[in-house]
Amino acid sequence: MGKKRMTMRRKESIYGYIFVLPWIIGFLAFTAGPLVFSFVASFTNYNITSQMDFVGGENYKGLLTEDSLFWTSLWNTLYFVIFSVPLTTIGAIFLSALLNQDIPGIRYFRTLYYLPAVLSGVGVYMLWMQLLDPGTGMVNLVLSWFGIDGPNWLFDPDWTKPSLIFMKLWSVGGSMLLYLASMQGVSKSLYEAAEIDGANTWKKFFHITLPMITPVIFFDVVTSLIGGFQIFQEAYVMSNNGEGGPANSLLFYNLYMWKQAFTNFNMGYAMAMSWILFVIVFIMTMINLKLAPRWVHYEGEEK
Amino acid sequence: MNKLKVFIMLIAALALFLSGCSGFQTSNSSNEEAAVNEDGKTVVDFWTFWGSEIRRPIIEQIITDFNESQDEIEVKHTYLPFGDIWTKELAAIAAGDPPDVVINDINATALRGQNKQAMNLSQFLEKDDISKRFYPELWDATLYEGDSYGIPFNTDTRVLFYNKDAFKEVGLDPEKPPTTWAELEEYAKKLDKKAGQDYDRVGFYPLWGIGYDVWLLNANGQSYFDDQNNFEIDTPKNEEVLNWLKTWKDRYGEDVVNSYQAQIDSQQGHPFFNGDLAMIAQAPTFYTQIRDYAPDLNFGVVELPEYEEGNGNTSWGGGFVAEIPEGSKNAEAAWEFIKYLTDVEAQEYWAVKNFDNIANIEAAEAAAKSDEFTEDGTMVYEMAVENMEQTLLTPVPVIAPDFSSLINPNMDEFFLGSMTAKEALEKSQTDVENLIKKNQ
Repeated sequence: MGKKRMTMRRKESIYGYIFVLPWIIGFLAFTAGPLVFSFVASFTNYNITSQMDFVGGENYKGLLTEDSLFWTSLWNTLYFVIFSVPLTTIGAIFLSALLNQDIPGIRYFRTLYYLPAVLSGVGVYMLWMQLLDPGTGMVNLVLSWFGIDGPNWLFDPDWTKPSLIFMKLWSVGGSMLLYLASMQGVSKSLYEAAEIDGANTWKKFFHITLPMITPVIFFDVVTSLIGGFQIFQEAYVMSNNGEGGPANSLLFYNLYMWKQAFTNFNMGYAMAMSWILFVIVFIMTMINLKLAPRWVHYEGEEK
Repeated sequence: MNKLKVFIMLIAALALFLSGCSGFQTSNSSNEEAAVNEDGKTVVDFWTFWGSEIRRPIIEQIITDFNESQDEIEVKHTYLPFGDIWTKELAAIAAGDPPDVVINDINATALRGQNKQAMNLSQFLEKDDISKRFYPELWDATLYEGDSYGIPFNTDTRVLFYNKDAFKEVGLDPEKPPTTWAELEEYAKKLDKKAGQDYDRVGFYPLWGIGYDVWLLNANGQSYFDDQNNFEIDTPKNEEVLNWLKTWKDRYGEDVVNSYQAQIDSQQGHPFFNGDLAMIAQAPTFYTQIRDYAPDLNFGVVELPEYEEGNGNTSWGGGFVAEIPEGSKNAEAAWEFIKYLTDVEAQEYWAVKNFDNIANIEAAEAAAKSDEFTEDGTMVYEMAVENMEQTLLTPVPVIAPDFSSLINPNMDEFFLGSMTAKEALEKSQTDVENLIKKNQ
């Protein structure tokens, strides 16, 4: 290599670094910095304004051994994740399989089923609070047409989490769209070959469609697991003014963390909680990644 | 290449330093230069959550009046939504750039004093002692270790509204509302109107409008915490009160309670407005809803009935304070504004225009005589002012700030039937005692 070439390359890399510098600074200042800070603060009694003394593993020890609400909130969150992730995944695949048919007016159905995904936030939760109202809500009214005496939904601790899972199912539009796109990408020739061999609709679905979309399923499961562990807004809006009630049945992990941080000013404690959640989600995702090769099929990948 | 690495690492270190360390600064910035506008006036940044069509013009009028009353200070109003204002304030304090005056919840004032979020106001109070302006109960709630950390602005109480026409219909004297719990129950039964399984009219249900805690307070004449911060909830009397509250639920049934609750939450369809509910315990501002949604309703208002004769009609209230966040650069000017804000003129204006209870005694009594209210309005306002004498606040004790979130779930379990009153009280007692131990 000549000397001139060397300086060219060197110049190029300097320019490269300069161009990415704004991002690097942003990352360090707004992501890595706070990350390091919160890790350090999780070993202190930091309360934002008046104190920050090192307390060692006190926060972690307190959480794991003395705080029953920590376990309650973790259990609530797990319950939600365990039921909502499989249900919404299956629901989204099922819907997108239906919407992948060639029937008249399918575009309208696609729009219709996607619509709830466009709406989001507090407005939707308020709407669901009305729909789920045991006395005057639509849901129990419809159930009563079939002679079913609907439950008390958000007022009954046994039904609050199912209520939220039920509500989640309504807005599967986002993942449905992903599945629909990947289903449309499955090569027609595979289906034609299967048809020649006499495969029926079900066989085609289970032996061609499903395996071909596994990368998307994998992506969807990982992201909704992570999202599920971070559930907050729903509970904040729908549980007795963000209390997590009735009877702590909607006290999710993030809600409890938020309360510790901003109601009780136990910022160090809340940061310890956030690191425990990080470890849990990290392990979950690692397990997913480890299991993935067993069932996720990538086209063109050599095994 | 090595130089570049060093350069990048330096930038990284700088970024870490900047982002990490801003949190450590406890605000000692009062020596910094005060914010001054182009006319040379000191600018006071005033944060409130009063953004509604009704409240915003009123607080802004008060600010304008203050700005015109002198030529040294200019107050600037910043509106922040109710859910956000205090987390934003906290972030601003931590960043060393807080507002100069903020409206905050009175019950946690001491806690903010302890945590160095609100400024100790005794330096100003030594010069002008304005503590006598306010209801003592409100003033005491702002104290932490004897010093005040916020100046009371407004307050409220709980009273009983009742439908006079319904009283007449069942042969009760509309001028003699119930005075004891026993009477309340007896009247409610008379006022109930049943049509088959459903109710055409419910006499009274104690937990619409107020919580179980107000009834415990009413029966005991004091809060769970005494002056020495000893906590006591597990008592035979409280057990009796809870069981009494439960009898109402058992009598009307879960379905009636839930469907009425839904109508109450929806406001316009409030069963009290159309006569489907004969009595309800509420804050006096409930009157403004009656005025707007049911102007023809023939109603009366009375203090909460007492547990038994001679026990006292103790009621519960809350409210808001104006405080100077720790680290404000214009504390002197902020104090001048707070004095104006809590003085008779501004307080009376707020009270009359908003139909809101205020902290300043003289202004409250003047507002009660205001000719801007209708006859009904005056009746309710007078009742509210009178009721302040027996209204207790329940300031959050600094040794157990989050105690209610330990009690509430147990009470939920009790009212849902999965715990007895005794169990719920015992568990609450131990849970809160453990919290206190942990915080000591």
